[in-house]
Amino acid sequence: MNRKNSNKSRNPNKPTLAFYFLRALACINKKTSMASYNQRSGTIKRAAYASMALAAGPKRAWSRAVLCRVLWWGSSRLHGFPTRRRPRAFFHRRVRVADPKLREPSKADVLRRLVPGAKAMDLSRLLEETAHYIQYLRAQVLLMQNVVGSVSD
Amino acid sequence: MQQSSREMQGMASSLNGIPSSAGVAAAAAQIALQELHNGHRQQQIQNPSMQVPAAHFDHSTAGSEAGSHDDFFDQMLSSLPSSWPDLGNPKVPWDLTSSSNPNGLAGKSPEESATAAAEGLQYAPYDESLLLASRLRQHQISGGSSPAGKQMLLQLNHPHQQQQQQQMLLQGMGRSPVATSGGDSGLLPMPLSLGSAGSADSRLLVDRSRDELDPSFRSNPTGGEGLYNGFGGSLQGGAQAAPQQHFHHPQGPSMPAQNFGGAPSAGVGQAGAAGGGTAPPRQRVRARRGQATDPHSIAERLRRERIAERMKALQELVPNANKTDKASMLDEIIDYVKFLQLQVKVLSMSRLGGAAAVAPVVSDMPSEGQSGRSGINGAAGNDSLTVTEHQVAKLMEEDMGSAMQYLQGKGLCLMPISLASAISSATCHPRPVAGNGGGIHHLNPGCLIPAPPPSNHNNPAVGSGAGGGGDGPSSPSMSVLTVQSAMANGGDTDVSRTSVKDAASVSKP
Repeated sequence: MNRKNSNKSRNPNKPTLAFYFLRALACINKKTSMASYNQRSGTIKRAAYASMALAAGPKRAWSRAVLCRVLWWGSSRLHGFPTRRRPRAFFHRRVRVADPKLREPSKADVLRRLVPGAKAMDLSRLLEETAHYIQYLRAQVLLMQNVVGSVSD
Repeated sequence: MQQSSREMQGMASSLNGIPSSAGVAAAAAQIALQELHNGHRQQQIQNPSMQVPAAHFDHSTAGSEAGSHDDFFDQMLSSLPSSWPDLGNPKVPWDLTSSSNPNGLAGKSPEESATAAAEGLQYAPYDESLLLASRLRQHQISGGSSPAGKQMLLQLNHPHQQQQQQQMLLQGMGRSPVATSGGDSGLLPMPLSLGSAGSADSRLLVDRSRDELDPSFRSNPTGGEGLYNGFGGSLQGGAQAAPQQHFHHPQGPSMPAQNFGGAPSAGVGQAGAAGGGTAPPRQRVRARRGQATDPHSIAERLRRERIAERMKALQELVPNANKTDKASMLDEIIDYVKFLQLQVKVLSMSRLGGAAAVAPVVSDMPSEGQSGRSGINGAAGNDSLTVTEHQVAKLMEEDMGSAMQYLQGKGLCLMPISLASAISSATCHPRPVAGNGGGIHHLNPGCLIPAPPPSNHNNPAVGSGAGGGGDGPSSPSMSVLTVQSAMANGGDTDVSRTSVKDAASVSKP
């Protein structure tokens, strides 16, 4: 059942991914009011991550974290630094690392920083999330490249 | 938090007109997510905001005005099934959600922290619990059995199976205070947390166990601690008669309870000899050959096995993963994740749909051998690219899998411009630098650029390379730095293009 679970969760749903991302892209493209190039590219990047997280579903920690982060990026970009709700307060509520016995602090911690939502996981869970995250990242990159390819044709 | 979540759910109404495919996808996603939601959060998360149906039509059009950049996002979130955990707080930084709680964002309840605090307890998948149970049945855990049994039982606390497992956990843990007089004080807080987390379950357990166990148990309080103690006492008597049945019948919760009671009781029985053993005859289980029967080491071994299995799975995902060493494998993984994230960033810059000048991706994939395509997006400066560059660009853009194959040791890699020029004359460089980090250096922000191939096709230009795998940590940072600096320039396209043109490609090893 372990295998089945992992396989089930492992294959990114590419049509879903494509749908979310393309829709966002269309929406962004409609907006001709994008002031700067960087802004637009940042928005596209956010759209990419958001579609990735949406396609992944809420079951994974990283997808939830990514979605929150994307929200945060967007809001901080739009409204300046949000004062209504101070993010620092939430930083302090970070759960400590579950497994203090980790012997790879440097590498595992780097990985924790890279994979969103993996701040307080032990190694096995971290690896699992990383695998899932990598799968979705790959799918997203493939999708984006296909889009670029089709646009450029 | 509530407002924004309501906003988002209010947006769901606007999505009712989405096209059918989207509707199907969304519906399917909703269904799946509902299931997951129910499965995960049966006990803990009360997210009334999440359960608010899409009938919350606060802003049907507000989302479109929420910000010029964000309306795509509102659109996305409106399709988000309501069963997603509380994403309503846009300010929640992502490390908040990274409590690694599979029960979701809002699950910051104390019991969850406590359960999360219990190492790896909630992450054990179900079949590992089976494995564990079978092992327990086979081995006779000798010496310090109760902490062992407790730890192992604790590992079974998978959120999906919390009900059954908590029963067993409770039983196992209840055993420990009894079996070993000293007990392991450190172990008690964990069952307490689990008990508090599953108070409903513990009540269930109480009810069920009353049927099988000693009536003496009834007098025990239903508080968590008392529950455990009572279990301990009663299980000693009751579990002995438990048949050694197979473990995983969720429909018979009493049975697993008994089985588990049986197995740890067997374990406890061994310690019973040491700890003033209570009378009932215990089944002796011989430890597996060559493996320690120490419960700590068994738990440790399980953990290690799990990690090894995950590493193996990751090895398949990450290209150029022929490393056997765990540390270097982690390095590879880190590099790969960084590389992918960088690619997303780069591609988002290039995804401007003709709004800005975008040079095509240039990478030579000699293995691809695909016919030439010469489509080039963007307006500026494309004429100067050769056909091969166009070919390669198409390949890179359209078939990332093949691009990824570079990482699998084809020996091509992206190089920073400086390095590329330095190496330009080298015909064979075994491990070119700037591997996985995606040393994608930009000429203009729109490009994914490796160095374009020189006229000599034998030295292919760079794909995304893992050639520098050995360089590990240094190269990604360097390449990323180059990317950033190049990106910051924002495009003096012609100048940088010519410089890149001079840069040589990287040869294959």
